[in-house]
Amino acid sequence: MAHEDHGAVYDLLKSRGVSRRDFLKYCGSLAAMLGLSEAMVPQMVAAVESGTKLQPALWLNGGSCSGCTESIAQVDTPDVASIVLDLLSINYFETIMMAQGDDAEKAAEETIKEGGYILIYEGSVMTGQDGNALVINGRKSTEILAEAAAGAAAVLAVGSCAVDGGWVAAAPNPAGAIGVQEFLTDEGISTPVINLPTCPVNPEWIVAMVVDVLLLGKLADGSILDELDDFGRPKLIYGQSIHDNCPRRGHFENGEFVYQFGSEEEKKGYCLYPLGCKGPQTFTNCPIVRWNSRSGWCIEAGSPCIGCGSANPTKHGGNWVDVGTPFLNRHRDLPLGGLGNTAPGTVAGVVGGVAGAALVAHGVGMKVAGRMDGGADYEPMKAHDAKKMKKGGGE
Amino acid sequence: MAHPAHYREAHPLVFVITHWINLISMVALACSGFYIHYPFFSGFMGVARGMHFFFMYVLIINLTLRIVLAFFVKSATVLGSREVDTDIKNWLPQKANVHQFGAWIKYYTFFKKDHPLGAKYGVLQKGSYILTVPLTFLMAYTGFCIYSPVMDWGFFQAGLNLVNGPMNMRIIHYFCMWVFIIFTAIHAYLANVEGVAPSRLIFAWKEEEGLHFDADGNPAGGKSH
Repeated sequence: MAHEDHGAVYDLLKSRGVSRRDFLKYCGSLAAMLGLSEAMVPQMVAAVESGTKLQPALWLNGGSCSGCTESIAQVDTPDVASIVLDLLSINYFETIMMAQGDDAEKAAEETIKEGGYILIYEGSVMTGQDGNALVINGRKSTEILAEAAAGAAAVLAVGSCAVDGGWVAAAPNPAGAIGVQEFLTDEGISTPVINLPTCPVNPEWIVAMVVDVLLLGKLADGSILDELDDFGRPKLIYGQSIHDNCPRRGHFENGEFVYQFGSEEEKKGYCLYPLGCKGPQTFTNCPIVRWNSRSGWCIEAGSPCIGCGSANPTKHGGNWVDVGTPFLNRHRDLPLGGLGNTAPGTVAGVVGGVAGAALVAHGVGMKVAGRMDGGADYEPMKAHDAKKMKKGGGE
Repeated sequence: MAHPAHYREAHPLVFVITHWINLISMVALACSGFYIHYPFFSGFMGVARGMHFFFMYVLIINLTLRIVLAFFVKSATVLGSREVDTDIKNWLPQKANVHQFGAWIKYYTFFKKDHPLGAKYGVLQKGSYILTVPLTFLMAYTGFCIYSPVMDWGFFQAGLNLVNGPMNMRIIHYFCMWVFIIFTAIHAYLANVEGVAPSRLIFAWKEEEGLHFDADGNPAGGKSH
């Protein structure tokens, strides 16, 4: 590829104060995240460099807190990630676009009319009250999503809310919040959905998907679908537990734990498992990719994992809040209808206690009935045999 | 004296051994499992997990072996008899277990004074013994579902998906353990409430004289050897 072809990207890099060396390094780390061999780095560099044709994209918000938007806007200095993301021509982005009112809506309409764009959806799909739980510009948000998804080349469901409703869908879920994938299945829309749960989404993963899906052509040839797990998540990002890659894992194996915030153990950076860390059951590469321009992440900041990457787009009740609260307990609470929420340990203790008490009571009965010393006398004959004898004189 | 004789035919030596292995494994699994659930003291997690995996394999292999042996080893058809038949027939519900069901429930709840005659084991006793088999396998299955090296296998993924993820699976695993603890408490109670002869037989393989019964569980008259 001729050097001149890369002008646009080089200008961008230069104008943002990013050296070519940084750019190559970044492509290397991106390749590692995508599970590609180092041999793929030149191809990836070429793909990004030649990606001067902007890929149209829409960023729609459903029932969201805009946290994922915040996450993507986290960069305090322009970095390579933001340049890669600049390859997306995001024609509509409620929170941060310049255009307002009709102009903004027109941009969205025209993009949808042209088709072939990437739809990035943030927030849950608010199906409650017949879709009136969320109305944008006089239209039900569900209608907007159905229309936008139908014309899209692919949908990136970013953040746990877009994947399975997230905390918006936590019981009792009056807004009828669900994830994009379930909504599209219900509506019979077959556009492929790539799910990127966590609250909020990690912008590095969006970058990874942009490179993987668009620049390396995995969407065009359909090969991206083989790289997704049963929940539509990229296996390479969501394939291993946080626990297995945690920098505090050594302390776990040694049995060195933090039992209380503010303790000596906490100062020493011991394992947060007894404080309800959900790392063992949460599957993301947070410990490797980390957050905020790779400067740190929850556990490095001293907080147990609260399992925000747990999601089940195909079933209700699997959202991370329902399966993870209270966050600082080892077990979730069980909803017992009118009795409120109860810890499984309490249920087990009560049942065990009742069983123990029943045995003691039965033992007292056995003693009173005189069965303990010597036991009761046997019946002379089984009732069944007695009946048979009565009937036919049996044996 | 209204106790049946306790003869070795009731529990052939190989089953005395498998029973010992069950007991040791289950105690080790419950204790290490409690620790893994919440590490009450420091410094033991690596050992606890190692124990938990080791004894899980021991328990599963032992149970599988026990089931296979049931088809080859002969055991007494009823307590208090030396008459034997293939063990599996005595393990699964026998005819008398079915039609004596009501009598046993009445006896347990003190509505019937005299001790029901029966097949091998009381009705509830036998039912619970049979249930421990699927329960043990369920325990292993739920355990594998929350064990990260294998939890992404299709067979375990399906279960995880069914119950909405590893947290719920972990709670099911935890409750199953409680079912085992409660079962063991009732089992130990029922086995020993009318005397410790059953324990002497199953643990030390020691016989004890008592009433004698024929192969169908009917009184065979007096004591016999």
